[in-house]
Amino acid sequence: MFKSVEDVQERFREASYIANRRIATVVYLAERMGRPVLIEGPAGVGKTEMAKVLAEATGRRLIRLQCYEGLDEGKALYEWKYAKQLLYTQLLKERIGELIEDTHSLPEAVAKIAGQDDAFFSYRFLSPRPLLSAIQADDPVVLLVDEIDKAEPEFEAFLLEVLSDFQVSVPELGTIVAKHIPLVVLTSNNARELSDGLKRRCLHLFIDFPAPRDELEILRLKVPEISERLAQAVVTAVQRIRAMELRKPPSVSESLDWARSLVILNAETLDAALVESTLTMLVKYEKDMERVKGALDKVLADLG
Amino acid sequence: MDRRILEFIGDLRRAEIRISPSEAVDALAASAEIGLGDRETFKTALATTLIKESRDLATFDRLFDLYFLDLQALGEGLKKALGPTDPRIQDLLERLMAEEGIELDPLTELILRGGGTEMEMAIRQGGQHVGLERLMYFLQIGYFSRRIQDRFEWDEIERDLARLMQLLEAQGLDPGQLARIRNYLDLRLEAFRRLIRQHVERELERRAYRQGEKLTREVLTDKPLFALTADEVAQMKSVVARLARRIKDALALRQRQEEKGRLDSRRTVRRSLQYGGIPMELKFRRRHREKPKLITVCDVSDSVRNASRFMLQLVWSLQECFSRVRSYVFVSEIAEVTQAFNTYPVDKAIEWALRSAPVDFHCRSDFGYAFSRFCRTELESLDRKTTILILGDARNNYNDPQPWAMKHMRERVKGIIWLNPEGQWGWGIGDSVMPLYAPHCDVVRECRTIGQLAQVVDNLVHHWWRRGR
Ligand SMILES: Nc1ncnc2c1ncn2[C@@H]1O[C@H](COP(=O)(O)OP(=O)(O)O)[C@@H](O)[C@H]1O
Ligand SMILES: [Mg+2]
Repeated sequence: MFKSVEDVQERFREASYIANRRIATVVYLAERMGRPVLIEGPAGVGKTEMAKVLAEATGRRLIRLQCYEGLDEGKALYEWKYAKQLLYTQLLKERIGELIEDTHSLPEAVAKIAGQDDAFFSYRFLSPRPLLSAIQADDPVVLLVDEIDKAEPEFEAFLLEVLSDFQVSVPELGTIVAKHIPLVVLTSNNARELSDGLKRRCLHLFIDFPAPRDELEILRLKVPEISERLAQAVVTAVQRIRAMELRKPPSVSESLDWARSLVILNAETLDAALVESTLTMLVKYEKDMERVKGALDKVLADLG
Repeated sequence: MDRRILEFIGDLRRAEIRISPSEAVDALAASAEIGLGDRETFKTALATTLIKESRDLATFDRLFDLYFLDLQALGEGLKKALGPTDPRIQDLLERLMAEEGIELDPLTELILRGGGTEMEMAIRQGGQHVGLERLMYFLQIGYFSRRIQDRFEWDEIERDLARLMQLLEAQGLDPGQLARIRNYLDLRLEAFRRLIRQHVERELERRAYRQGEKLTREVLTDKPLFALTADEVAQMKSVVARLARRIKDALALRQRQEEKGRLDSRRTVRRSLQYGGIPMELKFRRRHREKPKLITVCDVSDSVRNASRFMLQLVWSLQECFSRVRSYVFVSEIAEVTQAFNTYPVDKAIEWALRSAPVDFHCRSDFGYAFSRFCRTELESLDRKTTILILGDARNNYNDPQPWAMKHMRERVKGIIWLNPEGQWGWGIGDSVMPLYAPHCDVVRECRTIGQLAQVVDNLVHHWWRRGR
């Protein structure tokens, strides 16, 4: 358990993640209250990373369920290996014959076979997928349900049930109850609205682009080779570009990529030519690119 | 504290943020975990449990600041409101009170010593049973300020002050000095009254936050679309967004209820072949309702532009209810604008469709021509799963209405629905050719206000596509 909000911040930093006070507070509460966290925010601001780091910081195993269109219960929860089960039954026909050899009536034979239920309906034939893995786990885990907005609303409703009682019933085996309540993190890029039910169940965390101070910290942490001067310049320039209301403003992942390539180019400072030649790291759309190029003097103003 | 949090939740609900009882319970639990030590942390604990839509965060922030006053910041503000203190007079009074050991009314003392935070607390106390929950309008501020003032013993204060002045006079201060001190005390009294008023104003803002907006919205919902001002059109966007969300929520609920299907014997048997005829895997007929396709065809000439704008917004906000949406706009030349909606946010796409679409807005509506062009180029792509939603006033400017085009279209699709932003009484009068088109439509509805538009679309989503299945 985290001792305090500050403790969250410290342990996240040790795992190379800069959590502002808001993020840390929500993480703290999630663990204390045993509630899933739903993280929303633009792409590349560290939503997925946060879940990974949470696992690292708490010493839990990470189990990840990546959502996509068409994801269903079978692929998320478990699959029953009917073919294997049937094969076993075929192979064991003789043994079954032996088993019921000395029975005298049909009900007696059935009873005898029923006594062997466990052999026919066992975990042997169950192939768990992420959700069941998380519930079955002997050790405490972090369950990351990544990009839930990509799955269909029907799946969301099913997930909500699982998250409400952390137990699933497998018709062949009965009900499986979680040994430890997993720490659950869901992420969404807001491709569609999520259901009210799911939102009610979760603590909500909106992660936006980081404050300049935090972004500087992230840069120092993730690109340690970068000089202080260049790091400052990168952060300021990125902030200004974000303010331009581009179709896709650069996110943390882009500013990290950019910083890394500037380091490889041995850059000391930013200048127009350098920015222009590395802009593809930062801005992805043609139109956006042109707008940034047109405003380079503003982006670079007063940057040493 | 719990009581205060619950009251705050009441404020949020009045500002139209939906908060369920379970979320309220969560907020109490979270604040208990966090404690009140740090204001920002406390605020996050409430936000994360109560606010589930990023767009509501701004409202939350504002109301939080109004309700859980930042006493330190407030103290600063109050100091300013109190005006500068005069240290010399303050000294003199302090000394006097110490020497004479006089008993003063607590409020007099407060006014003399004047800590902003303490004053605010006193005012809050005073405001407790004056019926502030009825405070709803700007006009009530004076009334409630007076009611709070009446809770303080002004006679008592006045007597205290008079006694102080007498004592000072007895100490031999000259009339000039006395007048200055009296004046100073009056200013403080005045400032205290001002604080009371400020308190009431803040209470009003907190209680009535966005109530005005709500009222406007209700009025706008029933106002004829053509009569909306530019300002109102802008406000309307959020109204339509809200409607879309309501329709979606209702639909999602129904889908969940219909979820479980019946046994699909055919698929079960087919599957069982794999296991030597034993029905190992049961297959269920997912009552999978195939999503409908939708084509919208909007007249975007000046007279009906607002209606088109809102219909486009509504339809595209509901796009996940359809397997495919395509949109066309016309005045007389017709053009497809689907691409814009796939590229831009709905808002921008609409502006683009209305402004820069390859349609000449200056010519006059010609429904006949538009439909005949549509027929020629798009007929092949129509099928039985498609519904065509047309929006227009059918005022054809005496051009050839070419109703045959509608007839061809109708033969190919599931149905045609026509929304007319003009009152029904005008159909068929003057250059309106509605009666010529109506026979080829499955549904024709008047759609003069957002209220009507919402009803029609809601009906479509919930009923039209369920027919004949
Ligand atoms: N606060 C942060 N501290 C450290 N690294 C961060 C932070 N925010 C983002 N990053 C980095 O940015 C990149 C993108 O993060 P990711 O989690 O994939 O984004 P998202 O899931 O929000 O799209 C990762 O390489 C991550 O390490
Ligand atoms: Mg991610």
